[in-house]
Amino acid sequence: MKEIYDVIVLGGGPAGLAAGISATQKGASVLIIEREARMGGILKQCIHDGFGLVRFGERLTGPEYAGRFYKEMLEMGIDHIVNAFVTDAEKKPDGSFALTVQSAQGIKFFHCKALVLACGCRERTAKQVFIHGDRPAGVFTAGTAQHFVNISGYMPVKKCVILGSGDIGMIMARRLTLEGAEVEGVYEIKDTPAGLARNIAQCLDDYNIPLHLSTTVTRVIGAKHVEAVEVARVDEKMKPIPGTERMIECDSLILSVGLLPENEIAEKLGVEIDPATKGPYVDQTFMTSVPGVFSCGNALHVNDLVDYVSESGELAGAYAAQYRPGRRVRVKIDYDGKKFAYVVPQYYDVMRQDDLTMYFRPRREQKKPSVQLCVNEETAKRKKYIHLSPSEMEQLTLKIDHPVTRVALKMEV
Amino acid sequence: MSSSEEKRRLARLREEISGLGIREAEVSVFRRSIRLSGGCDDWKSIVRAGKKAAKLGYKGVVNEIELDGFTPPPIRRSKIEDGAIDGERPDVLVIGGGVIGCAIARELRKWDISVLLCEKESDVAMHASSRNDGMIHPGIASHIGSLRGKMNVEGNLMYTQLCKDLKIPFKRYGNFILYSDHLFGVGGRAVLGARARAFGIPGGHVDRRRMHEMEPNITDEALGAFSYPMSGVLSPYKLTVALAENAVENGAQVSLDTIVTSMEMEHGRIAAVHTNRGTVYPRLVVNAAGVFSDVIAKMADDQFFTIHPRKGELVILDKKKGRLVQRSMGLVSVKAATSDTKGGGVMRTIDGNVLVGPDAYEQPLREDFSTHADHIDAILEKHLPLIKGFAKSDVITYFAGVRASNYEEEFIVERSEQVDNLVHAAAIQSPGLASAPAIAKRIAEISTAALGEQMDVHKNDRFDPVRKAAPVLKYMSLEEKQKLIEKNPDYGVIICRCEEISKGEIIDCIHSPIPVTSLDGIKRRVRPGMGRCQGGFCSPLVTNIIAQETGLRPEQITKNGDGTEFLYGPTNKGTGKTSAETKAPAKKAPARKAPAKAAAGKAAAGTQKKSAKKAPAQKGAAKKKGGAEA
Amino acid sequence: MAEQVREMTCIVCPNGCRLTVTADGENITVTGNICKKGEQFAREEMTHPMRTISSTVATSFPHFPRLPVKTKDVIPKEDIFKAMDRINEVLVTEKVHVGDVIIPDVCGTDIVATEDIPDC
Repeated sequence: MKEIYDVIVLGGGPAGLAAGISATQKGASVLIIEREARMGGILKQCIHDGFGLVRFGERLTGPEYAGRFYKEMLEMGIDHIVNAFVTDAEKKPDGSFALTVQSAQGIKFFHCKALVLACGCRERTAKQVFIHGDRPAGVFTAGTAQHFVNISGYMPVKKCVILGSGDIGMIMARRLTLEGAEVEGVYEIKDTPAGLARNIAQCLDDYNIPLHLSTTVTRVIGAKHVEAVEVARVDEKMKPIPGTERMIECDSLILSVGLLPENEIAEKLGVEIDPATKGPYVDQTFMTSVPGVFSCGNALHVNDLVDYVSESGELAGAYAAQYRPGRRVRVKIDYDGKKFAYVVPQYYDVMRQDDLTMYFRPRREQKKPSVQLCVNEETAKRKKYIHLSPSEMEQLTLKIDHPVTRVALKMEV
Repeated sequence: MSSSEEKRRLARLREEISGLGIREAEVSVFRRSIRLSGGCDDWKSIVRAGKKAAKLGYKGVVNEIELDGFTPPPIRRSKIEDGAIDGERPDVLVIGGGVIGCAIARELRKWDISVLLCEKESDVAMHASSRNDGMIHPGIASHIGSLRGKMNVEGNLMYTQLCKDLKIPFKRYGNFILYSDHLFGVGGRAVLGARARAFGIPGGHVDRRRMHEMEPNITDEALGAFSYPMSGVLSPYKLTVALAENAVENGAQVSLDTIVTSMEMEHGRIAAVHTNRGTVYPRLVVNAAGVFSDVIAKMADDQFFTIHPRKGELVILDKKKGRLVQRSMGLVSVKAATSDTKGGGVMRTIDGNVLVGPDAYEQPLREDFSTHADHIDAILEKHLPLIKGFAKSDVITYFAGVRASNYEEEFIVERSEQVDNLVHAAAIQSPGLASAPAIAKRIAEISTAALGEQMDVHKNDRFDPVRKAAPVLKYMSLEEKQKLIEKNPDYGVIICRCEEISKGEIIDCIHSPIPVTSLDGIKRRVRPGMGRCQGGFCSPLVTNIIAQETGLRPEQITKNGDGTEFLYGPTNKGTGKTSAETKAPAKKAPARKAPAKAAAGKAAAGTQKKSAKKAPAQKGAAKKKGGAEA
Repeated sequence: MAEQVREMTCIVCPNGCRLTVTADGENITVTGNICKKGEQFAREEMTHPMRTISSTVATSFPHFPRLPVKTKDVIPKEDIFKAMDRINEVLVTEKVHVGDVIIPDVCGTDIVATEDIPDC
């Protein structure tokens, strides 16, 4: 292993692996740093299938999907270290980056020209959604429960209530049912489900697990271990409606209440964060506000499909490999915040001409909308959708072969 | 006071508390303490009655007015019943493993006397000592002449050396008492100035401009501040654990999961103390039982006070916002300044998070640590606007604690007037943490004097005040870390990504002088799970480490002691779906066709054949667990 | 026979098309699908619904106590728990690789490993 690389990728999950591979293919020397004991990121515990349909045209499980990238990485001989933690990251006056990495082998220092942040995301906790009551044993985030069941092989619940209809929550509802637990129901504070429609069908409906919309958990009861939770219906402002409270006896509460991009290192480097995505602002090259720092995958914004996580990793890795310091002029990509929840990338660097891959989520459910990607005031692409939902991310690509001065994303309902 | 005058005053009190809605109110005096009884449907009125009684100037108030329909829940305790400490004859038995009890145990070991500390929970610092803001108050909030004020000021001064000895971080960030009305600016100068002079507390008024220089993010609403640079912060549970560890290193004995259930009295002395882990025969008993200190006093037939649990809720913000505040700050109104406890505020903790709160409210439960949306919302609404840049989305967690307040709102640090071998360190509420070293010192003086009546008490020459602390990587230079990891690679493996805690540090606290095997116990010591993910990523990993180090099965590991086990055992693998079905397929196992068929050449038979060769009886890589066991 | 109308969500891909299936005896018509797979799914769902399942099997490796597995092909929906019973019976004692058959012939397909057992 060397000390100086062209590109260092932080994170060995689907985004990081894809970034490392594509950067290597572009001729860069690459190091991937992974904080866990094995590469693969969260896919290691996502043993269900449905991954890779867009990319491979197959229904792969999480470990299979990650395994394909991992094997490719090995075959390409890409340097990587596991159980390694970046304790410090610094941008040097010459524009390069210095990383301090702690592992069982001691403290090591690495340098690179470009840095790809592929640190994934973490789960929102019970406290972040302001659940009250006691703090007993038996409250888990869905991902933690998934680790216990799928990796450790231990059951954390016998009869549980799931709060939040995120995909991991629904997938855990099925998983726990298959392993012999009882899932009393899934409760969602919003009036629409947060996860994919197919997961409602194959994870809840198949197992007769009810989904209660506009209902939330208001209190956890149990001094030592969860004994019950109180649920209540909520009004349009998502405030519990007095008199609708209901006690449910259970031994655990599983939370699937959203994911947040992990950007601690990005913030250390002074990268600006978009409050809409909770990830960095990037341009079409996936470069953040700090030149030479790239972001991809769920650290950039929470994706719904791993295929897009890999795609953004691949793009970020390739751009990072080609990165040269230079002047950039970033114009904000225009969108209506009332129609779109967010748009990624948020900027276009008009000093360059790159094809554009865009990701977006609508602000609310839309039937038969049409979305237009406008470049220099002209509609460059128009796509009609049968249905758009905030729970489903959309992607658009556009070939660009002329100078760009303005980009806008529009929606007609 | 003449007896007729006393009768008149008691009759007036009886009338007053009846007026509060107390039915069948009775007022009497027993051993210089005032006793109230009766019934009421409102807890606030009961507390008000106790406070009124306290104004009469007796030794204490025992308030036995009952709340309608309320049966106090049983005291939380461990299920353990054994004889672990049966027959022990320590010179001193300390009841309670909070910061007070642990500081006392350590202080007592400065003398050559044997010390046993009993704590009913599975760890020290489980109640108020881990459920407070960690502020070492300067003493400015206490009334001139009060014991609370005296202990606070003395204790505050002791912390610099104490934390150095115990090797725990301590910072004197200082504090601001902010005001938004000029009236307080004028009144505060007089009242706080007089206190500062009386107690010898450095600091005083700073004007608006200076205030903004020192704290640029304060709201424009604040007109000025009173600044007290001696104010400090530390981790209250790390302090308590460190005190207990150093006490143990110096020969004190700590018995966890040990609840005092009753006492045997003989000739005005405690002859024996019964616990769930055996009977102990101490020469002297120190009551440091926190919210249950009145219960312990009653067991020894010496109840002269009642604890009215005053609960508070606190909010923690992400470390990212730590840089916005330098010191502890609260905006006060004239009303809050005259109440019994501070109005709360915002502060930077020793770990760089921001703490918001606490509030204070009376309620009858002594061990209710639940939080409530209305309280947390009110705290955020009240204090977040204090600092520009704070938002509700910065909240990572919140918690509640219960203060052990008596009606006199004053510490009880004294030898019992009734029981020869009992010393009280009772009713220690805020600023109990700041006062702890001073209280411990005073209790040790009282205790050694009392023991001196029975035995020779000598100084313990071997007492080492310096704790043999495990390494904390966060405070080390890169060179120091490098050396440590070379010696033990476990220190290189980060387990908690939010707080950057290594595997080695977690293993250290599993084997520390107060060994701990619960997730929360480890969290209190080295912080994994304290960060923004709240243990989401690291709790399965920490569980594995505990299992490896202790030999406990994961399902035996607890979140926070007895009864908080969080796993049910292995997923139903290798045994069939239900216990009824387990037996049948296991017996049939060898006859099952499946593995044999695999060996006969299906796609992946290679591995299975291999295993068949190595272990022919098992017929393939996939075998019945039941069969293997048979 | 009376006409039967069922609403269902296609689970073949993440699009999750909302299908309307009208069955009149043998005659089944599907609307709402954007591809042919949706129609096929709906027909199957009306006659003999099929599913894949994923789970884990126990291993004897302390560093890797559970090996993820899946049904290689779809199985009848009503056989899911039967398949789980079979999956729960086995213990893997040898290093296996992704794709290796762990239990052959379960509800008409094989249970295969979806991950290599790593070295450490």
